[in-house]
Amino acid sequence: MHPNDETLNAYADGSLPANEAAEIERHVASCVSCRQLVDDLREILRATADLDLQDPPARAWMRIERAIQLEQEGARAEGARAFQASERDIASGHGHGPAKAGHDGMWLPWLAAAAALVLATFVGLRYAPGRSQLAAPASQARDGAAQASAGDAAQSVENELRQAEAHYENAIKGLEQIANAEQNALDPRTAATLQKNLAVIDQAINESRAAIRSQPASEPAQQSLIENFKTKIALLQDTVALINEMRKGNEAGAARIVSGLKQKGN
Amino acid sequence: MRLTPLLLLAVFAAGAVPAPAQDAPQHIVVVQQIARAARTAAYQGRDRGPEQTDRFSRKLKLGRDGRVSVSNISGEIVVTGGSGDEISIDAVKRTRGDQSQLANVRISVDDRAGRVDVRTDYDMSRSTRNNNVSVDYTVTVPAGASVELKSVSGSIKVTGVRGAVRAESVSGDVTTTDTPKVELAKSVSGDVTLSGIQIEGDLSASSVSGAVRAKGVKAHSLDLGSVSGDLTVSDVTCDRLNAKSVSGAFEYSGNIARGGVYDVNLHSGTARFVLANPTGFELTANTFSGNIRSDLPLTIGGDQDRARDNRTHRGPGNRAIRATFGDGSATLTVHTFSGDIVIAKR
Repeated sequence: MHPNDETLNAYADGSLPANEAAEIERHVASCVSCRQLVDDLREILRATADLDLQDPPARAWMRIERAIQLEQEGARAEGARAFQASERDIASGHGHGPAKAGHDGMWLPWLAAAAALVLATFVGLRYAPGRSQLAAPASQARDGAAQASAGDAAQSVENELRQAEAHYENAIKGLEQIANAEQNALDPRTAATLQKNLAVIDQAINESRAAIRSQPASEPAQQSLIENFKTKIALLQDTVALINEMRKGNEAGAARIVSGLKQKGN
Repeated sequence: MRLTPLLLLAVFAAGAVPAPAQDAPQHIVVVQQIARAARTAAYQGRDRGPEQTDRFSRKLKLGRDGRVSVSNISGEIVVTGGSGDEISIDAVKRTRGDQSQLANVRISVDDRAGRVDVRTDYDMSRSTRNNNVSVDYTVTVPAGASVELKSVSGSIKVTGVRGAVRAESVSGDVTTTDTPKVELAKSVSGDVTLSGIQIEGDLSASSVSGAVRAKGVKAHSLDLGSVSGDLTVSDVTCDRLNAKSVSGAFEYSGNIARGGVYDVNLHSGTARFVLANPTGFELTANTFSGNIRSDLPLTIGGDQDRARDNRTHRGPGNRAIRATFGDGSATLTVHTFSGDIVIAKR
C-alpha cells in the first residue's frame, strides 16, 4: 500500500519521525512511482528554496489554507484519477476503443497541464507555510519574542491575499488558454452555458475586489474573493476535463454530433 | 494517488504560462472562438425528413449485484431496477436523415463476468457531418446492481436501483427516484433531481447552471455545488454538508446531527437552514453585505477579537456572528458575500 501524499511530503522535507521515515524509505526503495514522487517533491523544495521568504502571520495562512483545503483534496483526487486513467491507456497502448489510439497523445498533455497548473497553485500555497514555520524560529531567535504590530499583521494579510490571488490568476490564465486551444470539442450550447457561468463568476470576483478596495480588512470580502477564484478554477478544470472526454476515442466527434442534432431540433 | 509527473510539471507550469496580451477576460475570447467554430459547422438545412429508427435489444445474465455502465453521446438513458439477475438492454437509434446513417452507429455491449458495459460507437471513419443519429436506451438491471451512466446530450433517469449509482450528463437532466445509493449526480446545464437517498457514504450532486434538488436524503456526507443554479435539499439528515454556489441560493430543510459539520459558502444567494427541533449547534456566520437572522433563540458569543472587530467595523463588510443554540454540538459555518443568512424553525 502506498503512503499517502502527506506522509510523502513529510518524508521529502525531512519532517517525518525517524521510525516512520525508515519505513517510508523502505517503501520508496522498492516503489518506482513513490520514489519518483519523492524526487519531484524534493525538486520542488529545491526550486522554491531560492524564492524570497516572508513570515506571514499564522492566521493568514490558516485562513488561506482553510479556504483551499477542500478544493485541494477534491482537485488532487480528480486529477490523479484522470491521470491514472491516462497512464493506463498509454501503458496499454490503447484506450476504450479502436478509434481512441490516435487521440491519446493529443488529450493527455492538456489534462496533465491543467492539473499541473492547479497543482502549482496548491503547491505554492502549501509549501510556503511550512517554510515560514521553519523560518519563524530563526526570526524569533533574532528578535526574541517580539510581536508584529497590528498594522504589520494587516499588511501581511493583504500581501498574502495578493500572493494567493496571483497564484489563482496564473492557474486561471493557463486553464483558459487550454480551453481556448481545444475549443472545437465543445458543442455551442455547452460552450454558451460555460460562458454564461464564467461571466457570473467574473462578476462575483469583481464584486469581491471592489469590496476589498473599499474595506481591505473585510474578512467576508477576502473569503469571497478566494472562493470565487476556486470556483472559477474548478469550472475551467471541468471544462478542460470535458474537452478531454470529448477528444477521447469514439467520442471525438461527439460535439459535432450533438451540435448537429440540436440544430436539427431533435 | 500518483502525482509525480504532475508535480514535476507544476514546478514549471506557473512560470511557463505566458500572460495574456490584454486584460480582457480570457473566457470571452474562448467562447467567441467556440461560437465562431459552431457557426462554421452550422446547420446546412438537410436531414429534416421523417424519423428513421433502428431497434436493438439484448438480454444478458449479470448477477444480482453486478456492475453496469452505459455511455451515450446523444439520447436518453433510462435505467430501472428489476427482479432477477439479468440485464435487459433496449436501444432505439433515431435519425431524421438518411436511414443509412443508422448503420454508422453501433451499440457496443461488452459482457464480462458480473459486468456489462454498453456504449454508443459512432463510425468515425465516415463523415460525421452527416451522421446525426441519437440513441435512446431503456435498460432494466437487477435491483442490486451498481450503475454508472454517462451522457453527453440527453437526460438520465434512474428508478429503483439499489446498488451504487453514478450519473453524469453534460447537457441533460439527471433524475433518480427510489434509488438510495446515489454517489454522484452531475450535469453541466441540466437539473439534478434526486429522491429517496439513503446512503451510508457520501453523495455528491452538482450542476453548473441547473438546479440541484434532493428530497428525502439520509447520507453521511452531502456535497452540493453549482455556479448559478439553486441548491435545495429537503427532508434531509446528514453528518457532513458542504454546499457552494456563486449566484444560486441554498436551502436545507431537515435535521442536523449531533456533532455534525455543515459548511455553506455562497456569493449572492441566500443561505437558509430550516431546522426541525435541532439539539443544538454553534453558528459561525459572516457576510459582507447580507443580513443574518434567526428564528431560533441564539446565544451570541465568540472570541473577544471578533467581538472587538465587530465594534470597530460596523456596517457592510463585517456582519458576523458567532452564536450557540441548544447544546452547541453541531457546527454550522455559513459565508456569503451579499446573500442573506437565515436560520428558520420548521
